[in-house]
Amino acid sequence: MIDRMKRMQADLEHLPHLHRMGALFSETVLVKVDGQEFYLVFDKGRIAQLLEGPSKKTPYRFGLITDGAALTEFWTATPKPGFHDIFAMVRIGRAEIIGDMLLLVKNLRFLKEVLALPRARHEVIK
Amino acid sequence: MSIEQITGRYLCVEVAGRQQRIYFEEAGQGRPVLCLHTAGSDTRQWRHILNDPEITAENRIIAFDMPWHGKSLPPEGFMTQEYLLTTEAYMETVLAVIRGLGLERPVLAGVSMGGRIALQLAVHHPEVFSGFLAIEASDFQPAWYDIDWFHRPDAHGGEMGAALVSTNISPYAPEAERANTMWMFMQSGPGVFRGDLSFYTQDDSLVGALHRIDTAKTPVHFIVGAYDFTCTPDDARRTAAQVAGATLSVMEEVGHFPMSEHPAGFRPFFIEGLARMPKAEIGA
Repeated sequence: MIDRMKRMQADLEHLPHLHRMGALFSETVLVKVDGQEFYLVFDKGRIAQLLEGPSKKTPYRFGLITDGAALTEFWTATPKPGFHDIFAMVRIGRAEIIGDMLLLVKNLRFLKEVLALPRARHEVIK
Repeated sequence: MSIEQITGRYLCVEVAGRQQRIYFEEAGQGRPVLCLHTAGSDTRQWRHILNDPEITAENRIIAFDMPWHGKSLPPEGFMTQEYLLTTEAYMETVLAVIRGLGLERPVLAGVSMGGRIALQLAVHHPEVFSGFLAIEASDFQPAWYDIDWFHRPDAHGGEMGAALVSTNISPYAPEAERANTMWMFMQSGPGVFRGDLSFYTQDDSLVGALHRIDTAKTPVHFIVGAYDFTCTPDDARRTAAQVAGATLSVMEEVGHFPMSEHPAGFRPFFIEGLARMPKAEIGA
């Protein structure tokens, strides 16, 4: 899982349109997968740091809690219905979103695109 | 170079005592089929059906922008008005367009909130129509989001709305059409998506009324996408089960905006739905 997260961080570096879209987003986001914590520390649309938990001292604004099987399906090119989107995963009971929901929604397009970066169709040509 | 077959004009008509300038597009000839867009969007969602030579060979496809949407301006005085769509205003608008264009018992094809109002019209004004295609349509859907998110002074409601509705776009949708579908939401006027959602998520007046539809006189066919998490296939089935004689098809690779997000995936289901509707009357 950490390899996927690192790949997401690296791919984001090569996508200037996401840097523009996330230029005002400098917050920490928790992604918790099968109980394992990952803190994505964003700075102006880039993932400046990727921290592994567990941590009770890392403040975050909102978080996505899910399981590895759901996230793996989410990252396929054509996920099954319900696994194709973080809100859809919430709707089918395979994810939970915690924290400042309004802040998430204000930056939703940016964050959805970042979280979907590991998908096959978003492979970055370097 | 090419010029598409779609033509666009404006209909100036009074709706519920207010003058409205309504933009509509059409293509084809034969049986009239009036198409309704979703919340927060406009007639461009129907661009592929309007440009389909096979469908328009025997059907006059017409789509219009609801007031406040697309190229239909809001009514005079809108700057001090809060836009909140109601069932009554929506039904009256559809009926006014039909009267204004002189349509003889069209098929009504509505998607999402358009599907909801199609069902309302099937209950309250069936005599005006020959049949109904209720697409991504249900009797009632409470919000799983806060509709006030989409009209705020500190955020772009259109971009937020587009990002939210992308939840309901299929991964099988071509990237270009996914983007086009989201763009229309991004262009929506301030507060318009919120005002549409107010109708869609708070008006439950259709609940308990669907048994009044007589499908022997006006057939009702439901079409729903498996990737729709606003109106799921189960929501559509629940609704269709209340309409005796209604039929239903599930599109396995399509979401909530079928005609716009995945035209090739939607096309055979739309053609199948049209085939279930009465043929054009002679002279119509």
